[in-house]
Amino acid sequence: MSIVLVGVNHKATPLAVRELLALSDDACATGLRSLVDGDIVREGLIVSTCNRVEVLTETATDRLHEATERMVEFLTRANALPRSQFEKELYHHTDDQAVRHLFRVASSLDSMVVGEPQVLGQVRRAYSIALEAGATGRILNRLVHHAFRVAKRVRTETGIGANAVSISYMAVELGKKIFDSFEGRTALLIGAGEMAELAARHLVSAGVSNVLLANRSKGPARALASELGGTPVAFSRLADHLAQADIVICSTAAEGYVVTEQMVRDALATRRNRPVFFIDISVPRNIDPAVGKIPNVFVFDIDDLESVVTSNIREREREAERAELIVESEIMQFQQALRALESGPAIGALKQMFQDIARHELKRQRNRLGPLTPEQESSIESLLMSTVNKLSHPMLSQMRHSSDASDAEIIEAWRDIFGLED
Amino acid sequence: MRSLLLAVLAAYVVAAIHAVLAFINKRRALQRVSEVALAAGFLLHTAALAADWIIAGHYPLFYLRETLSFLAWTLVASYSLLLYRYRARPLGTFILPLVSLLVFIATVTRSATESATNAVSVRDAWLFPVHTTLLFFAYAAFFVVFIASIMYLLQERELKLKTFGAIFHRLPSLTTVNEIATSSTAIGLTLLTVGIATGMLWASSRDGRLWHNDPKEIFAALTWLLYVSLIAYRSSASWRGRRAAWIGVAGFALVLCTFFGARMMGGYHVFG
Repeated sequence: MSIVLVGVNHKATPLAVRELLALSDDACATGLRSLVDGDIVREGLIVSTCNRVEVLTETATDRLHEATERMVEFLTRANALPRSQFEKELYHHTDDQAVRHLFRVASSLDSMVVGEPQVLGQVRRAYSIALEAGATGRILNRLVHHAFRVAKRVRTETGIGANAVSISYMAVELGKKIFDSFEGRTALLIGAGEMAELAARHLVSAGVSNVLLANRSKGPARALASELGGTPVAFSRLADHLAQADIVICSTAAEGYVVTEQMVRDALATRRNRPVFFIDISVPRNIDPAVGKIPNVFVFDIDDLESVVTSNIREREREAERAELIVESEIMQFQQALRALESGPAIGALKQMFQDIARHELKRQRNRLGPLTPEQESSIESLLMSTVNKLSHPMLSQMRHSSDASDAEIIEAWRDIFGLED
Repeated sequence: MRSLLLAVLAAYVVAAIHAVLAFINKRRALQRVSEVALAAGFLLHTAALAADWIIAGHYPLFYLRETLSFLAWTLVASYSLLLYRYRARPLGTFILPLVSLLVFIATVTRSATESATNAVSVRDAWLFPVHTTLLFFAYAAFFVVFIASIMYLLQERELKLKTFGAIFHRLPSLTTVNEIATSSTAIGLTLLTVGIATGMLWASSRDGRLWHNDPKEIFAALTWLLYVSLIAYRSSASWRGRRAAWIGVAGFALVLCTFFGARMMGGYHVFG
């Protein structure tokens, strides 16, 4: 039994090729049905997202090469793409390497943005498609569930997804550091750039209660206001509304400063020095940098946000190193589970074999015993069975022991001695 | 008694180490270990103090050993309240090592003359435990103000400079630490006021004088004035955030002088 993974991802393969290789959900299902033949490829799973197309299978070890060949062939056939187009960047992993790869993908360690949470959902989806197509079995079911477990461990035990790595989400994260929660807070959106809108959306879904929108042209502000459940306010009365706002997102095309130091000082006096958080996404800047020197005021411009994003990415990478350790230890645990899975049937088969021998012998000798009462009959059978079971017990428990200790050689030896099939 | 205190020390050390590790590694499981160890330590500690009281026959707040142990106890009680109210786990990283240190010193210190003073044998003797207990809780509250203020300053500085170090991601939000500092100041000041008042009452019933001009009393009065002005400025909103946090830090220096100063300069308040 071998686990094989063949695929391409964002690291080596350009998007132009990836999008040609990508498979729809339906194509995955039909593709799996044709790929899994129960002989060479016994189980299969296809993960196809914008960043990766990967085929994972469980195959007979002695036909590994054939199976790999079939999987590559399958990728070629599925999208009628010449093999030469993607073969160079194609990676194939077997056994532990394949397991490691799946664990890393599910834990978002192999993602473009390390720690992004979507990939786990994509793997889940791929699995449910394979499950529906009847393409998964004993081994892959176990493997994929284990991968989900690893992903969960990585998410809860490391800070891999902790720090924002997009500028629009930064507003929420920094805001949390200042205000703790957004309940009852007011955000003021000055201008309506795309990124400012996105930031405002994040803030609203993080719990900001009240959104004020100030825009020179009334049309876009109204549209956005109704969408976010906010209130459009007059641009000319910006100074008055500033006092209400805990969070100010500024993104206009204005050349000069829209928010001046004096405006903020006045606003702060009105709001009794409660802290204000300014985000200035506009270039050139719309908020006077001097505003940042006022106590209880925090100003972040686009450069500041970008440098925080960079440092957060570095922090995620540090956390990713810890995640890799978790992945390694989980690979070992999976190996162990796999061995138990493999030797389980062997132990069962052996027990069955002993009992069959006993029953067979009883049948052979039964005529010589003459007529017996049902009680006598059953006591003879239980006598035989318990003798067989007691005799074989130490042996079977030794087998279980060596399978727990993942001693593959001894398990193989047991198989050989009793002539058991795989 | 000493073996019980050693058990307390062990529990607190476990709690402190796990709190620090939880802070560094951001691990929930470690935090749980810390909290369980802390709960066990606190129960043992309470038992130890009660036993001390019964065996020694005087309220266990005369000797250095007793005062340190008691101070640690009040700190743990305050931290437990903070955990309950604000889930402010990072505070434990700073409070618990100090608690462990205090209990450690308490276990190695032995007062040479452990005989009951005549302090208890006066009218209104019940005032003395009330006086000391209230003041110890006030010290603990001011220590919390101190820690919260430092957290505020560190975090505010990083937000202003926009350079976020490792500590930034691990501290509670500015609003939270500010709230902790504000409410702890109010609680601490209330305790200090009532504590000073009961002390005066006790002194006057003991020897007819309210005020002895001894260093501890003077420092306590200064501390009281400082925290009163902190509260006043905070509520008038002209001092918020950074400035208030600096006062919280400076105030604690005065609290330290009150606590240790008297011991070094002598006076009415020296017992052990």
